[in-house]
Amino acid sequence: MSTVSETPTDPEQACVLLVDDNPQNLKVLYETLRDKGYQLLIANDGEKALQLARRHHPEVILLDIMMPGMDGFEVCKHLRADTDTALSAIIFLSALNDIDAKVRGFNMGGADYIAKPFQAQEVMARVDTQIRVIQLERVMQARNRQLESEQASLLNAIFEGIYGLDPQGVITFANPAAAEIAGAEQDALVGRRIGDLHFTHDSGEEASHAGRVLCRDGAAVLRRGVTMTRADGTTFQAEYRAAPRFENDELTGSVLVFRDITEELAQERALEETRELVAEQREQLAHASRLSVMGEMAAGVAHEVNQPLTAIANYVSLVCRMMEKDTLDQDALSEVLEKITAQSHRASEVIRRIRQFVHQPATGKETVDVARLLAESREFAEVDSRNNAIEVSLSIPEHLPYAVADPVQVQQVVLNLIRNALEASRNCSSEEPVEVSAEALEDAVCVRVADRGCGLPEDAEERLFQPFYSNKDEGMGIGLSLCRSLITGQNGEIGFERREGGGTVFWFSLPLVDSSAPDPD
Amino acid sequence: MAETEQTVYIVEDDEAVRDSLSMLLRSEGLAVAGYERATRFLEDWHGGMQGCIVLDIRMPEMDGMELQEELIERGSHLPIIFVTGHGDVPLAVEAMRKGAVDFIEKPYREDQLLEKIRGALATDAEQHQGREEKRLIEERLEQLTPREREIMDRMVAGQANKVIAIELDISQRTVEIHRSRVMHKMGTHSLAQLVRMVMSVRDGDPE
Repeated sequence: MSTVSETPTDPEQACVLLVDDNPQNLKVLYETLRDKGYQLLIANDGEKALQLARRHHPEVILLDIMMPGMDGFEVCKHLRADTDTALSAIIFLSALNDIDAKVRGFNMGGADYIAKPFQAQEVMARVDTQIRVIQLERVMQARNRQLESEQASLLNAIFEGIYGLDPQGVITFANPAAAEIAGAEQDALVGRRIGDLHFTHDSGEEASHAGRVLCRDGAAVLRRGVTMTRADGTTFQAEYRAAPRFENDELTGSVLVFRDITEELAQERALEETRELVAEQREQLAHASRLSVMGEMAAGVAHEVNQPLTAIANYVSLVCRMMEKDTLDQDALSEVLEKITAQSHRASEVIRRIRQFVHQPATGKETVDVARLLAESREFAEVDSRNNAIEVSLSIPEHLPYAVADPVQVQQVVLNLIRNALEASRNCSSEEPVEVSAEALEDAVCVRVADRGCGLPEDAEERLFQPFYSNKDEGMGIGLSLCRSLITGQNGEIGFERREGGGTVFWFSLPLVDSSAPDPD
Repeated sequence: MAETEQTVYIVEDDEAVRDSLSMLLRSEGLAVAGYERATRFLEDWHGGMQGCIVLDIRMPEMDGMELQEELIERGSHLPIIFVTGHGDVPLAVEAMRKGAVDFIEKPYREDQLLEKIRGALATDAEQHQGREEKRLIEERLEQLTPREREIMDRMVAGQANKVIAIELDISQRTVEIHRSRVMHKMGTHSLAQLVRMVMSVRDGDPE
């Protein structure tokens, strides 16, 4: 009898090899452990034990020390030496109840020791314990192998090149993507210096990359738009990240992750160009709209300019008459001349406001004092306000925070909303003032323009901000759609609400100046 | 009513325009009264005002057009020169249709405005004289007895003394006496002039 296989092989089932030269002992062990859910193997000498162990990888081997030929210690040595069997837990069996044998057994890698004569309970308990230990170990090893292979497949699958670098900048590891980007075999990369391979542009800024990626100061680095060299000497635009590697607080090199962004940069440029084009067109539309608003306001504006001009003409005629007289009243003359000066200032102020509104190019985003901007807008809307005989009231809390926006475009939106509100009020014969107010929200300044006009039709939500939709008989339908475009261009929002008691509130918000953001300069 | 001085009433909300125009007109020897609001002018208005109104078409509260309508309502005779801004010509045309004498666009040449003001003052003076004459005729007509009035009406209608005597069943001599009293009271010697006087009152005022 060399082997006994009591139960069908089950991968989950633990395997126990019983080794003893005494058939009586084997029988006792066998009787003790049968029907406990183990696959049991039996060997009556060392050679057989080794064969079975190599074939079945038993979890536990109960190994008799005193055997003719190869003794238990010898078997143990062989088992330990073979990687296939090294993991089995060995429990020595011996009648020798002396300390030396025990110590020697443990020293040789034995997991446990059972003294003869066997106690059934003890044998079962010790075997069971070893089986559990070994099974846990195996699960852990399997998990480790899985993790290792996952890591490897990740590194292989990542399209970014990854290098492991030692403190001198020598490549110790390269993933397939790194090889592909570098244009060389993975093996050929390992051992080369990163600087010689990829950062051959030794002028100025470039030269420092070879050093920078080693993270000698212990901090990670991110660089974009770096010129890197391939194995064949051609170059590409890269983005890289390098992170230091530590072992026991000691810098052992770095990991360099990089990718070719040549195409990405081209796309970004194209996108940026498109963005600029859109911004330019929006600015052109805004300018066209300002001109058109100016045209609509021309009568009012002409009136504004005509007043001082008329006064000046009158005063000048008066001066001419005074000059014709025999005696010249110097005091009266200088009084009239002062009045002329005041009126010409008044005229040029009107012209200045018009020019500012029409011709000033979009200045781009800057810090905007919304309170002041609203006050100026109202001043500008004064002509319309007077022509419509409707007041424009302004209510702004003290210490209104500043916003980030293009002041010219925001003013255009404010003016547009005020003019709409005046028109809505007039069409409804309302004499209630148009209320312009502002408030600070958590992360924005909200401006509201409220009227007591006729309100908006039911379906306004869907169409109001669409181009070429107009609620007005003479409207082009450009105003609100442009307003939305301008406000969203400032990262703001725009909308409206129906007002309780009649009328409409149009509102828009602008992002606040972010005081926590670092200074761009 | 006693003869009063003609005044140029400037109704203009812009202080500089009002002030400069006032000074200019005063330097021309004209009497001027400036009003910042149409409503303030209406407070001062009375039927005896003579002169003309230089009226800004665009003003807050009550604008020039509204003031014109109110003045027409009240039976004002003051000629109105509208001062308009650019683009207000349709308004000015409408104002002219309602009886404004003239309009002028800002900014204007002072000699043009002065000319228009003088024209308006002349018109006013003429109308005023016409109104004075009419008032005088009406005053004289009031002095006639019913019988004299009856005979005058027939004279004006062209009836001969004889016909009047027969139709009223009075003597021709009596008709002649009434007739000479009518002529005397009406302050004329000629039948033609009497007819013109009576017609002018009837034309202008059907009452």
